Amino acid sequence: MGGWWLFLFSVLAAAGLLFTMVFFIIMFSDLECDYINPIDLCNKLNQFVLPEMIAHCVLTMLFLLCGQWFTFLLNVPLVAYNINKVNQKNHMYDATEIFRTLSGHKRECFFKLGFYLLSFFYYLYRMILALIQGGLEVKR
Amino acid sequence: MSAQPQPQLPPGWQATWDQNAQRYYFVHIESGTTQWEQPVAVASPPVVTSPLPGGGPGGVHHAARKRQYAAGQTQAYLGTAGADPSMGYAQPAPADAYGQQAPAAQPGGQFFTPGLADDPAAQAAAAPAMQQPSYYGGQQGQQQPGQVDRLANQFGQMGMGAPQGQKPFQLHTVNLVGMPIDPRELLADPPEIRLPPGACISNNPMANADPSYQRCTINAIPSTHSLLNKSRLPFALILTPYRSLKETDDDLAPPVVSDTIIVRCRRCRTYINPYVTFIDGGNRWKCCMCGLANDVPQLFDWDQQRGQPADRWARPELNYSTVEFIAPSEYMVRPPQPPVYVFLIDVSYAAVQSGMVATATRTILESLDRLPNIDQRTKVAVIAYDVTLHFFALPPGSTDSKMLVVGDLDDVFLPQPSDILVNLTESRTALEALLGKLSDMFQDNHAVGSAFGPALQAGFKLASPTGGKLIALSANLPSLGPGALKNREDPKLLGTSQESKLLQPQSSFYKTFAIECSRSQVSVDIFLTGSGYSDVATVSGLPRYTSGQTYFYPSFNASRSEDAMKLAHELSTLLASPIGLEAVIRVRASRGLRMSAFHGNFFVRSTDLLALPAVPWDQSYAIEMQIEETLNQPFVVLQTAVLHTTSFGERRIRVVTQALPTTQNISEIYSSADQVAIATLLANKAVERSLSNKIEDARDAVMNKMSDILGAYKTNMTAAGSGASAQLSLCENLKLLPILLLGLMKHVGLRHSAQIPSDLRSYAHCLLTTLPPQLLIPYIHPCFYSLHNMPPECGTIGEHGVIMPPPLPLTSERLERHGLYLIEDGQTMFLWIGRDAVPQLVKDVFDLPAYDQLRGGKATLPVLDNPFNQRVNAVIAKTREMRRTPYWPHLYVVKEDGEPPLRLWALSALIMDRADQTPSYVQFLTQLKDRVNGGSFS
Ligand SMILES: [Zn+2]
Repeated sequence: MGGWWLFLFSVLAAAGLLFTMVFFIIMFSDLECDYINPIDLCNKLNQFVLPEMIAHCVLTMLFLLCGQWFTFLLNVPLVAYNINKVNQKNHMYDATEIFRTLSGHKRECFFKLGFYLLSFFYYLYRMILALIQGGLEVKR
Repeated sequence: MSAQPQPQLPPGWQATWDQNAQRYYFVHIESGTTQWEQPVAVASPPVVTSPLPGGGPGGVHHAARKRQYAAGQTQAYLGTAGADPSMGYAQPAPADAYGQQAPAAQPGGQFFTPGLADDPAAQAAAAPAMQQPSYYGGQQGQQQPGQVDRLANQFGQMGMGAPQGQKPFQLHTVNLVGMPIDPRELLADPPEIRLPPGACISNNPMANADPSYQRCTINAIPSTHSLLNKSRLPFALILTPYRSLKETDDDLAPPVVSDTIIVRCRRCRTYINPYVTFIDGGNRWKCCMCGLANDVPQLFDWDQQRGQPADRWARPELNYSTVEFIAPSEYMVRPPQPPVYVFLIDVSYAAVQSGMVATATRTILESLDRLPNIDQRTKVAVIAYDVTLHFFALPPGSTDSKMLVVGDLDDVFLPQPSDILVNLTESRTALEALLGKLSDMFQDNHAVGSAFGPALQAGFKLASPTGGKLIALSANLPSLGPGALKNREDPKLLGTSQESKLLQPQSSFYKTFAIECSRSQVSVDIFLTGSGYSDVATVSGLPRYTSGQTYFYPSFNASRSEDAMKLAHELSTLLASPIGLEAVIRVRASRGLRMSAFHGNFFVRSTDLLALPAVPWDQSYAIEMQIEETLNQPFVVLQTAVLHTTSFGERRIRVVTQALPTTQNISEIYSSADQVAIATLLANKAVERSLSNKIEDARDAVMNKMSDILGAYKTNMTAAGSGASAQLSLCENLKLLPILLLGLMKHVGLRHSAQIPSDLRSYAHCLLTTLPPQLLIPYIHPCFYSLHNMPPECGTIGEHGVIMPPPLPLTSERLERHGLYLIEDGQTMFLWIGRDAVPQLVKDVFDLPAYDQLRGGKATLPVLDNPFNQRVNAVIAKTREMRRTPYWPHLYVVKEDGEPPLRLWALSALIMDRADQTPSYVQFLTQLKDRVNGGSFS
């Protein structure tokens, strides 16, 4: 299972997540330059925290349902990390602590950015592979 | 610093820099005498009896002449210090300073020689010589000894800088093991700040920050991060920029720059201060932080009131480290808002029955005149709450109020748009009538429950358009509407690793609401008088982020007059204190330094900007710093600016400037470390640690820091190096740090115990993180006095008010079975009485026939007609007022064989003793020594 449509969807999802992370990083550097105050920043970012995690989780489940074991395993660590954060209730940004934890948040965002970027190209590659294979099968 | 350019001197002389006078004085090495005048090559006797020989130190004089503008005290100083006829001091000016009516002071007497202060014989010789006229006059013969004393004191004060100056930067290493502790040394000033000559353009002694406003953990800044790291000392600033003034001392308010000429660096926005340099003939000034040359505005040298040129050197901002600028409208986001006070008063059954409502309303009523209201703009509102909210319409001029009840707690609204928040002056009569009858109105209220959260929201709705202060009094755990809390106290968790859960907030409401408040410039103060669990940990989040304060009165009952007194005193002090509204604090530092972490009650609004809706008096903030680049400059400047609106509607900037030398020498770092500031910082960090991790981790962190410092000191500064040593060495100026940190680890907020309710711990945390050093030090290292055998002058009025007995080391070895002792930490006082106290003592102090009749517990001592009773009462009264504090400590009478909990509580203040699970001071030192010898430090 797992035709090109699955990977087309994942490419789009990864692109979406990628942009979310870019947005987060831009917001953090705005905070550092004092263009935005921490209260507004946290209110804004906190709207995106859970959707981002859910989107990633759904994508991972989709791989599981479609039997893409390898891709699924690639994503499991991040899902586990997110679930752990939610369980400890520190997934939301706290305006009173933001300056103390800013470097950690930035590191996390950069890591996620890199991960989504790699995922994006990997899904793209898999999509093209699936398309070519599909094309070959049709020809045959 | 060691390479100061010294003036040329003839052989046998040595020049030493005097910090206080900002000039050199000269030591004749052979005779040990000192003088201000520069000696010349002509062999002159060490004590100069004729005015300056030719070729005197022109530079110094030039500077001195320029500085004649300085404050009166400086002139007096110069007048007695260097009698130079060319400066116009030839007339018998010093006569005033000595307080005698001698028609002509002897020429010899005019000269002040610092060496005299150290030499009793010389002093004795000098004093009569100067006293001569009145001595033979016979009239004032009886006052003679007093005058000599005063004279000696004056000499002593003037010579203060000399003893340290003679031994520059010497590091005194002491062995902590076996060293006696003298608690009086805790009151000493921090190590002197020795700036390089010429650093300061003023010679005003107030040109560098007073430690009560700002102090640094190290008074000589290491020039590199690695050097700081090597010393292991923490690097932080302790601020109390908005501190109260003690009226009795000559404690003056900071001078005000009223002409709105605010000169700041274009690049780094530093305010002009005594550490800048003027260049280009005074037309430009060089910033002391970033080095940028800025133009001096023309009006800087212009007296706008008189319309004539003014003396630049007389400007307060060039002479005082702490000044206030009156800010023009550029410094305002909106016009200055009036002070707003919204009182939220719990009127539930428990609150009324405990007498809290009656006490609070009476206190507010009596404090109405003391509320800051100079320009009659102050606004006040009263909201009473139980299971519903009761608003009061107070129309101006009316003598009656109308009560409006709102029962919808989930979506709070104001029942009418006007007349709830009213002008204090206009609606005074209605307000007075309301406060007078509020307690009676709810006398039969049987409502149980507390809509604390909705009441806060209602208060916020009233105050948020202008900003202001919410003063919330609560006698219950919040139980209704948003912000409702569960009683989660679980005695099984106390003393375990799970305990810190109880110290963390259980609801996010108080934090998110606090952020809303901070944004709208609303500050919240909370008075908790509940008899049961009050969840201080959660509720205190509100004052924490809105620059307020939590006040806690466990099992308050106003029928005990002491309880009512404490609440009334602390509430009225809060109401009477001037507040700085809409404040922000920013600390700037020389290039290479960065503020890295902030501790205290405020909201961090940007990387280095602290937002305080209302700066309270006497709250302290700790700011950690990092050395990011090598510091090449000879000294660095740290400047705190507090922009605020005064209660009389003026936008002001309070600027505190502190200059500190840099050094590459690790021994200077140690010898300039400030143990009080270090303990204050570590108290803040320990509390933070105990909330984020475990209390145990916090204690470990304190212990580790202490052993780190000791280990680094041993490696770097002693011959033992990294080998084992039987000694535990530390420098003299840090020798009390171990006992302060032991006191911190044994404090209610941190000590290992399964008996401390989490409310008490949380309240202790609130205090540990907000008290300024002058209150924090007694709080972690209490004062212990023996009263039954105090010297006869103690408890009587002396030169500086009531004379206190000498403090004792904090060990129960000092408790005698027939004695009477006072142990106090600024929050609580224990009057300890031994079981074999003689009946006469009991009779004199307590007016009771014998020890058996005495009851332990909260008490007020009777005032009796016998000298000992009056002296004890005087000592207790002095203890309550000797520090600048809003707190009114309770007095507990503790009998040696009385109730165990009270006895143990009192004994826990004696921190040098071994207690249940905490080591004695000697054991603590042994633990430290083992760690230092066991570990390897580099
Ligand atoms: Zn500058």
